[in-house]
Amino acid sequence: MISVENISKSFGDVIAVDNVSLQAPDGKITALLGANGAGKTTSMRMIYALIKPEGGQVVVDGINTHEDPVAARARMGVLPDARGLYKRLTARENIVYFGRLQGMKEADIKNRCEELVERLGMGSFIDRKTEGFSQGQRVKVAIARALIHDPQNILLDEPTNGLDVMSTRAIRRFLKEQRALGKCILFSSHVMQEVSAVCDEITIIDGGKIVASGSETQLRDKTGSENLEDAFVSLVGGEKLS
Amino acid sequence: MNFRAFKTVFFKEVLENARDKRTVMSSIVMGALFGPILMVIIMNATINMQQDKAEQKLEVPVINQAAAQHLMRFLSAQDVTIMELDGVPEEAIKNKDHDVVLAIADDFSEDFSQGQPAKVMLYYDGSAKGAAKVSVNRLRSLLNAYDRSIGNQRLQLRGITPNLINVVMIESHDQATKESRGAMLLTVLPYFLIMGLFMGSMYLAIDTTAGEKERKSLEPLFLNPVKRDTVLAGKLAATVAFGLLTLVLTIAAFKLTLPFYPFEKLGMRFNMGMQVMLIMLLVLAPLALLAGAIQTIIAAFAQSYREAQTYVGLVLIVPMIPSMLLMFMPIKEQLWMMSVPILGQNLVINELMRGDSVGWDAIGLAIAGTLIVGLLLAWIAVKLYNREKMLFTD
Repeated sequence: MISVENISKSFGDVIAVDNVSLQAPDGKITALLGANGAGKTTSMRMIYALIKPEGGQVVVDGINTHEDPVAARARMGVLPDARGLYKRLTARENIVYFGRLQGMKEADIKNRCEELVERLGMGSFIDRKTEGFSQGQRVKVAIARALIHDPQNILLDEPTNGLDVMSTRAIRRFLKEQRALGKCILFSSHVMQEVSAVCDEITIIDGGKIVASGSETQLRDKTGSENLEDAFVSLVGGEKLS
Repeated sequence: MNFRAFKTVFFKEVLENARDKRTVMSSIVMGALFGPILMVIIMNATINMQQDKAEQKLEVPVINQAAAQHLMRFLSAQDVTIMELDGVPEEAIKNKDHDVVLAIADDFSEDFSQGQPAKVMLYYDGSAKGAAKVSVNRLRSLLNAYDRSIGNQRLQLRGITPNLINVVMIESHDQATKESRGAMLLTVLPYFLIMGLFMGSMYLAIDTTAGEKERKSLEPLFLNPVKRDTVLAGKLAATVAFGLLTLVLTIAAFKLTLPFYPFEKLGMRFNMGMQVMLIMLLVLAPLALLAGAIQTIIAAFAQSYREAQTYVGLVLIVPMIPSMLLMFMPIKEQLWMMSVPILGQNLVINELMRGDSVGWDAIGLAIAGTLIVGLLLAWIAVKLYNREKMLFTD
């Protein structure tokens, strides 16, 4: 369960995130939907305690991320925007490295690794060095290493960016499985179909501010739109022609 | 500090970089072997050239030979080949056609027969290196010998003992030991040892910081429940370990190449026993921490791998400074100098090579001084990543 209250961040004169609040409950997939440059990545970085918000707070399972970032991170599994792998290590070594940094026991790492190989379909490449991996393979390894410690809260920044249909479907299926297990899942995206296909709750961010939140149906009703895309466009203030 | 996390980061960086052949090439081959092999080649080449000159028949172009036929016969008898010179002596020296040219003054024979000092001119280049100097010195000492023998004859003819003009007799006692002659040629050894160590850790310092940032794996790494200090400490430890490994290999490489140095030909002795090697290692080891920390700090500020390589490469000049100073300026060693990083190491190693016994106070100061500066820099390097700006390239 992630609760974000009034966080802000500016870089120099530019206000990247302005007073953002949102709730991501357990057993639900919550989306942070916004156009490129709307402040999604900066918001996510503050939520997963990589950078400090200038005001407000982020509470993860009752832990204030600003006060105890290390304990909060142990409760989160994060697929950030940057998902570089160590190319001279095998996929398994990449995952095990993060397992150890999570403080897991070797036996638990091994078991959990096998489970993730199965669930994400990584059997054919798990023991190969990650140099030359396809985009889909890389994202799967990045997700596996982020979730090696089986965290209660799963945060993903544009998880299916640049993936083909099969990989996208595999990741969606995986997220739905995790939701069924009662996990709290928060992900940012700019892809309407994606959000429409998997998310229960949607928070729309534009220009660093939250402009609306609710289920897809609620957002459509509110704007009288046929689909999420139209609702989104109407909520962020119409089509800009520049 | 979370020791398990520290260990995890350390071993991962070691494993990952050991798999990279470029690292192994740059740290081991370049760092450790470059110095020793270069020195063997340079020393052998210099000494062979000098020896050739000393053993070769001396060839001297002489201008106006007719004016000093007696001197010419003396030189010929001393196995000097006398030649004619085409052109002017200044040109011959400038163009390096000859090492030395002798010119006889026009009134030489007149002055000679009247018992006046008869003039000869020597043309040479005083700034020329080794081999040319040998020729000049040989000719000069032959001329001195001629001067003395004629002078003595003249005095004896007048019934005066030549001892009367030998007022002072100089007896030379050269205090250079065989080791110290060797050490003069080996003043560059500390530089090569220190440079090897800097080169050994350079690649890891870049790869684990700027490299990781560029490959976009730094952000996910910092999302683990481990303090950034701990992660950075693990990375720095791996960087320092590679520097130390290169240092050990460089010392071993010097030991192994010792038989190929021309010490015998120079009548020198150079000692590098187990104890000397251990003290070298002990004194240089804290420098690995200092080198790794400086390189990590610099690489942290770079926006890309390539940029980091440029900046960190420039750091290689730093260890050159004290070595160069000592090479050209004979500094009287003071105990406090030992505590200056790099300078202290240079002084201790130079003393070791000269065969002097080095006091434990000097060794202790060299280690402590460098260690304190190294730890301070390491602390800065580790804390640097608490700044948000350091995390992203964009």
